Amino acid sequence: MLILRTLLTGPTHGHAIAKHIQRTSDEMLQVEHGSLYPALHRLVKKGWISARWELSKERKREFKYYRLTPLGRKQLIRERSKWVQMANAIHRVLNSASGA
Amino acid sequence: MNSREPSNDFDKELRIHLELEAEEQSGAGTSEREAKDRARRAFGNATIVAEDVRAIWHPRWLEDAWQDLLHGLRMLRKSRSFTAVAILTLGVAIGANTAIFSVVNAVLLRPLPYPDAGRLAIIWSGLGDANRAPASRFELFEIRERTREFDQIAGIWVTNGALPGEGEPEQVKVGVVTNNFLPLLCARPALGRFFAPEDDASHAPFGIMISHGVWVRRFGSDPKVVGHSVRFGQGSAVVLGVLPESFRLILPGHTNIPATVDVFYTVPIDAAEPGGPAFLHLIGRLHSGSNFTRAQAEADSIATQITSWDGNLAVSNFHLFVFPLQADDVRDVRATLLLLFGGVGFVLVIGCANVANLLLARATKRTRETTVRASLGASRGRLVRQFLTENLLLGLLGGFAGLGIGWSAMRAILAARPPSLLVFGPVNIDARVLLFTLGLTVLTSVVFGFAPILSAGRVDLTQNLKEMGRPAGRRMRRWTGVLVSCEVALGFALLCGTSLLMRTFVNILRVDPGFRPQNVLTFKIPPPSYGMLHQLQQNLAALPGVQSASAVSHLPLDDAANWYDYYWKEGTPTELQSTVMADHRSILPGYFRTIGATLVQGRDFVESDDATHEHVAIVDDVLAQQLWPGIGAIGQKLNISDSPKGPYQFQRDWVVVIGVVRHIQCHSLTAMVRPQIYVPFQLAPRPMAIVVHTSGPVEGLAESARKQVALLNKTIPVSHVAPLSENVSRARAESRFASLLAMSLSSVALILACIGIYGVLSYSVAQRTSEIGLRMAIGARRLDVMRLIAADSSASVLLGLAGGFLLSVGLTPFLKSLLFGVTPGNPANYVAIVFVILLVSAVSSSLPVRRAMKIDPLTALRHE
Repeated sequence: MLILRTLLTGPTHGHAIAKHIQRTSDEMLQVEHGSLYPALHRLVKKGWISARWELSKERKREFKYYRLTPLGRKQLIRERSKWVQMANAIHRVLNSASGA
Repeated sequence: MNSREPSNDFDKELRIHLELEAEEQSGAGTSEREAKDRARRAFGNATIVAEDVRAIWHPRWLEDAWQDLLHGLRMLRKSRSFTAVAILTLGVAIGANTAIFSVVNAVLLRPLPYPDAGRLAIIWSGLGDANRAPASRFELFEIRERTREFDQIAGIWVTNGALPGEGEPEQVKVGVVTNNFLPLLCARPALGRFFAPEDDASHAPFGIMISHGVWVRRFGSDPKVVGHSVRFGQGSAVVLGVLPESFRLILPGHTNIPATVDVFYTVPIDAAEPGGPAFLHLIGRLHSGSNFTRAQAEADSIATQITSWDGNLAVSNFHLFVFPLQADDVRDVRATLLLLFGGVGFVLVIGCANVANLLLARATKRTRETTVRASLGASRGRLVRQFLTENLLLGLLGGFAGLGIGWSAMRAILAARPPSLLVFGPVNIDARVLLFTLGLTVLTSVVFGFAPILSAGRVDLTQNLKEMGRPAGRRMRRWTGVLVSCEVALGFALLCGTSLLMRTFVNILRVDPGFRPQNVLTFKIPPPSYGMLHQLQQNLAALPGVQSASAVSHLPLDDAANWYDYYWKEGTPTELQSTVMADHRSILPGYFRTIGATLVQGRDFVESDDATHEHVAIVDDVLAQQLWPGIGAIGQKLNISDSPKGPYQFQRDWVVVIGVVRHIQCHSLTAMVRPQIYVPFQLAPRPMAIVVHTSGPVEGLAESARKQVALLNKTIPVSHVAPLSENVSRARAESRFASLLAMSLSSVALILACIGIYGVLSYSVAQRTSEIGLRMAIGARRLDVMRLIAADSSASVLLGLAGGFLLSVGLTPFLKSLLFGVTPGNPANYVAIVFVILLVSAVSSSLPVRRAMKIDPLTALRHE
């Protein structure tokens, strides 16, 4: 879901995704960069994101860009609402427990 | 651009990633090399990641499966005797199933080779106690007038006729059909045309259609014969068309219509003669929107209308029965085939149990391998998959063997199949049979592989490593015990069915058919003149070695078209007159003496019993007992159907009974179908079968008999020259077939059960060698050892016997329709079977037990 969320802002390549996830999660998710790639490929196979080699404008070299497909967008919305529901539920449980 | 091979471009992706990361790291003032190292560290194990990515696009299981397959092959090659026994067992079990299924497929499953076969029906008429009788032309006319459910109704009757043509005259089967009969069963003729309604007109030229066989045989496959006149019977006929080579008539057995009929001509259907003879077998085709239930309901109402139509018919309880043609065709063989199919299923289960046993034993031996692999990190799923692959491999090899064995078994079955199965199309291994065998193979692989997989699923590492090399004991033995019980139970049930079928066959062998089939030669000729027939009888009787000669219109147990009609005694009220039927036979004097039938009362016919004198008849004891119990039949008057004016010119006639003969089994050896009435040839001329009783074997006589016919008239064809005993063996064929096949099935089952018991015991002995050694070392005698091992098997055998008994009690009632002279619940049977099974298990356990008794305590303990 993190990958899908990252791609929501626009197509980007593997290294940038890794950096982005690292940054936005305040370095809390310290994963090896390598584990990102199987996940990316799995998402491509599911059809939630697409991959394509493109020339980068600033750097003048080819990168493999990943971008969200409409299917992936739907999946993201679905998972996100699930997460929010769960978070809400946990939140309620914690609050009521502390209130008692 | 989407790359075609996503896993291949991962290398490039990886390189770029590392470069970018290194650039970022080097920004903080580190050396280039260190930056690269850091990038690599941050990335993790690149090789594993690459492999993971690859696995996403190329599923690992394929590679694994290939490995498993190779490993499985290696394992099978390593233990050759195990592999051989397993493949052979599976091959026999699957092969037997394939063979029987190929017959079931050809007879029960494959649709009849006719257009719209599913809509074809046979319509039987019934009067009084006869409910599967042919219909008269009048009845067919009436049904056609009234029906809304059928779009066609056609009729056929088959008789014998002569086809003189060029050269040797030939007696052929002649089909008398309605003009719509052939188009109903055949899409189009090979040459020429079918009959048309115009061919029924009285001024139309006499037209015939001929079979492909006759066209080739008699007319040298000449296409110009169509439209030309050929010699047929006493006159000539125009050949309208030739039927396709593949055309066969597949009609229910007791219609006596053979698969190949050589010549057809038409009979017009009109309302003439309401009381006319019932001889037409009716085939109908339902409208595409109709169904058999509606057709039967309509037939019921039509029958009621015909009944109330006219008192003239003297019909009080006329019925019509509509059956799907295919279902009616297989009516007599269905039970036998399903029974055999069930039996062969038992054999399959026994085979599976055997292989499961073998695999269990082997799985225990392989505990070490499994354990080591598990401890090296093989997942349980991976191990199970490995076993499954091996089993599937074994199953496929067994399936291949099964296909071969099945093919030869099918050939053997074909050679032994009775005439009732012969009419159905070719029996072969077609796509459906192949699919069945494949399905069976996969199913059996899963079933017999179930047990070892269960044991592999429960690998207990520490326990097994501790016991390294020593087989896990009790649980496994319980499993094998259960399997042996199953085998014994199924074998018991099979033996039970087989013994019943065999006793039936023996009883059929012992049946007195009412005549003596030995030393009687028979042959057939078309309707002769009385003078010629009489002369032939005298000339044949004068031949050396001939005791007597005579003639009959219908030989006992023959497949010729039957002649049966209603009869009633003097004083029968009109409404009861057409209610009971008897077989009618036309004979010459001396017939009963020639075939060894017993005249129990009165006299035989003499030459002067012709149309000009008082009309007389001889009846059988069944009819005499039925009509005149206690009074005696001699001198009584009987109303029958005869034809003194010529062949098939039927009329009702009063005759006087002058003799009573013992009933002759005419249709089957096991059932009394109808009583019999005999009339002298002069009252009912017909195609005749000549019977000649010789003092020795009949073989040498055939040629001189032919010569005698040719001497009198060269144009008369002689056909079906055969000993009378052939008819009797043909009548036994079905029972012989069923008991033969059942016997082979039970033998296979018994052998498999033997192997099973032997395998289990050998395994148990091998497993307990050290235990036995120890027992002997502390003083057990050899007898105690024997008891110990025997106890292992006898418990499961006894359990199996009990199960088999229950199974048999439950299942044998299904056999009832196939039995004759034995009852399913025969206690003597059960005792015999228990004895056989105990004997078999004793024999198969003797070897392992002996091996156990020979164990030398010293060696056994050192073995540890």
